[in-house]
Amino acid sequence: MTAKPKTIWDRLEDIPREILYGLLLVCIIVPMLFPIGFPVPISVEVKRWYDTIEALPAGSVVMVDFGYSGGGEPELAPFAVATYAQLFRKADIKVVTMSTSNEGPLLWEKAMTELNIARFGKEYGKDYIHIGYIAGVETAMAAVGKSISATTTTDYKGTPLSKYSIMQGVDSAEDFALLIVYTTGGDQSEGWVRQWYTSYKTPYLSCVLAMMVPTMLPYQKAGQIVSVVSGAQAGQIEILVKAPGRGVKSADVITVTHLLCIALVVVGNIAYFGKKFSGGKS
Amino acid sequence: MLVAGRIFALGMLIAICVLIIVCMELAKKNLPTFRKIAGLDALPEMIGRAAEMGKPVHYTTGLGELNTNVASQLVAGLSVLSYVSELCAKLGVRVIYTVYQSQVMPIATELMKEAYTRAGKADEFNADDQVRYMSGEQFAYASAVQGIAERERPAANIMIGPFYAESMLFAETFYRIGSIQLAGTARGYQIPFFAVVCDYLLIAEEIYAAGAYVSKDAVLTGSIRGQDVGKFIALILILVGVILTLAGSNALIDVMKL
Amino acid sequence: MSIIMKKSVPIALVFITAVIFLLEYFVLPTELKSTVTMLQNWGIILTAFTLGFGAVNMIMFHGKQVSRRAKGQWPYSLWLLIILVLFTLVGVIMGATSTQYSWLYSSSYFALSATVYSSLGFYMTSGIYRALRAKNAESALLLIVGVIVLARNAPALAAQFPILVNMDSWLSSVPTTSAQRGIMIGAALGAIALGLRTMIGRETGFLGQTTEGEKGG
Repeated sequence: MTAKPKTIWDRLEDIPREILYGLLLVCIIVPMLFPIGFPVPISVEVKRWYDTIEALPAGSVVMVDFGYSGGGEPELAPFAVATYAQLFRKADIKVVTMSTSNEGPLLWEKAMTELNIARFGKEYGKDYIHIGYIAGVETAMAAVGKSISATTTTDYKGTPLSKYSIMQGVDSAEDFALLIVYTTGGDQSEGWVRQWYTSYKTPYLSCVLAMMVPTMLPYQKAGQIVSVVSGAQAGQIEILVKAPGRGVKSADVITVTHLLCIALVVVGNIAYFGKKFSGGKS
Repeated sequence: MLVAGRIFALGMLIAICVLIIVCMELAKKNLPTFRKIAGLDALPEMIGRAAEMGKPVHYTTGLGELNTNVASQLVAGLSVLSYVSELCAKLGVRVIYTVYQSQVMPIATELMKEAYTRAGKADEFNADDQVRYMSGEQFAYASAVQGIAERERPAANIMIGPFYAESMLFAETFYRIGSIQLAGTARGYQIPFFAVVCDYLLIAEEIYAAGAYVSKDAVLTGSIRGQDVGKFIALILILVGVILTLAGSNALIDVMKL
Repeated sequence: MSIIMKKSVPIALVFITAVIFLLEYFVLPTELKSTVTMLQNWGIILTAFTLGFGAVNMIMFHGKQVSRRAKGQWPYSLWLLIILVLFTLVGVIMGATSTQYSWLYSSSYFALSATVYSSLGFYMTSGIYRALRAKNAESALLLIVGVIVLARNAPALAAQFPILVNMDSWLSSVPTTSAQRGIMIGAALGAIALGLRTMIGRETGFLGQTTEGEKGG
């Protein structure tokens, strides 16, 4: 018995994945090489993020958890770099960074290189510092919240913290005006709510992967997180901070690839209904 | 002495703990029953399919670690692993369990050995082949599991535990090779990906119920009953809160802030 | 090893530690702060040790694969061991924050990690194409919501059609948040139950034993 020839509906309903992946590749590469310049509207959440940092009074100390892994770097790093630019532009704001991911210190160095920190005139150990990777996720958060000096005595390079003026008078969560977290791990992003917000009411800004945002929204709605944003919104913060970089460039790619996905969904449904109404079985 | 702002939480914690203990004790005398969970009922069918095709079954508990707050999901996955191993042993199907955290290896080996012994096939269990420690790094583990999928072509893929970004990698790869899939996780981030690709899905607390469902263990079953009662209490609090708030009263909110 | 050492002592330690943490959080924050801080630091040290333990385990496992010349596996195991030694030597001799270590990390692990993570995009595309079909009422609803969220997250479309922003905002704030809250409540109760069972010795999985087989009914 010979196989029934494939109809147009069969072909459209079951496009080979090689074609799907090929189309996606084209939609990624072309806008990257030839930027289109699509508009990038600023969302409410990113504006709130920006305004929260702008409202920091002089002399504030900010804690940053640089807790993402290498896999999340392309998405989160642009947002992190733009935020550091905003923080370093403000007068007399000190930034203490730690990492709940063991790749954090290396990725932080990459981000600082991308930021070109020298142009801000900030000095390591006086205006900013990295106190290293601290193992234990929530245990680490709780320990650092109680006492940094009891948890770690050196920075990420092994130099004693006592040598740095930034750490004078800064030891527990109560000494920080703001907590900013960049992470690819839900355990980290939720853990900071439990360990810092619940215990110390530290205002908390959370930057996570796009797929994590829906799960983090309840914390924002409950007022436990000031703003939850995704790394994919990096273009928006770069525009606000007036430091266009990778985020703005990838906004075009995001638009085109999303349009491709919508087009594929439409094609798949047309094929499904076309086949159904022409008497075929799916 | 009691810390302000945490009194209500302490009271609720004590109440729920007492509830769970009472339910565990009552379960010893009268085992509670569960509603049907399609994914778990399909397990014998999935393993039967593997037996007919002469292919193995792949099992993973994701990035489960004993020393993190997702340990409860790992434990749930291990409970179902024991059941799946016994079923596979009875039907002569090879089950491959890929391990993420090395500390889990001896526990899993012991569980599977016991399962094979219960099935009367102790000599067929080969720990070196069937309990494979892949890597402690997320994507190295994910790549290794994808490699197993492509090389060994399991007929069934069972994923119960805490999953992260690799969930879609697993689900799509096993879908592509034609495996029938059951997935379950309490990590809300990954449930949509499993829902879109897998044949059967356990959502959130269903994975905790899964261990009790398949083992009929009184401790686990009673514990699930206690959790269900806890959920009813939460539901009542929500309803009372909504009614009071609509009536313009903050009484419940004030009590909860104690 | 007697049953007391294998089971009773670990369970007693877990119980006492849990009670200390609970008392510190709810009752005696000032009095128990230093004890809890010490225990938390012990936890951090133990976690750091498990990283080393994981490395030892990997060496043992892959060393066995190489010595046995395990078919189809041993060249990869050998390569893994070589890379492990290389990273360790460079990290110890040059320092984990040295330029050499950074280069090694960036050009190998980081590049591979980002690549594998990025491959998710391809899998998601094929998954979306296959799954978002209006085959019944539920899948039609999934389709509509999926398309709204996809469109809203395309910056140019959101700029052109602001109504997408409002729709996505409602979807995120109402049904999604409600569902996530329900899942959180369930997960939290599950965690409480597991913690309780562990404290009272009814959950012995962490000791390498199955839960006590207490059959009921």
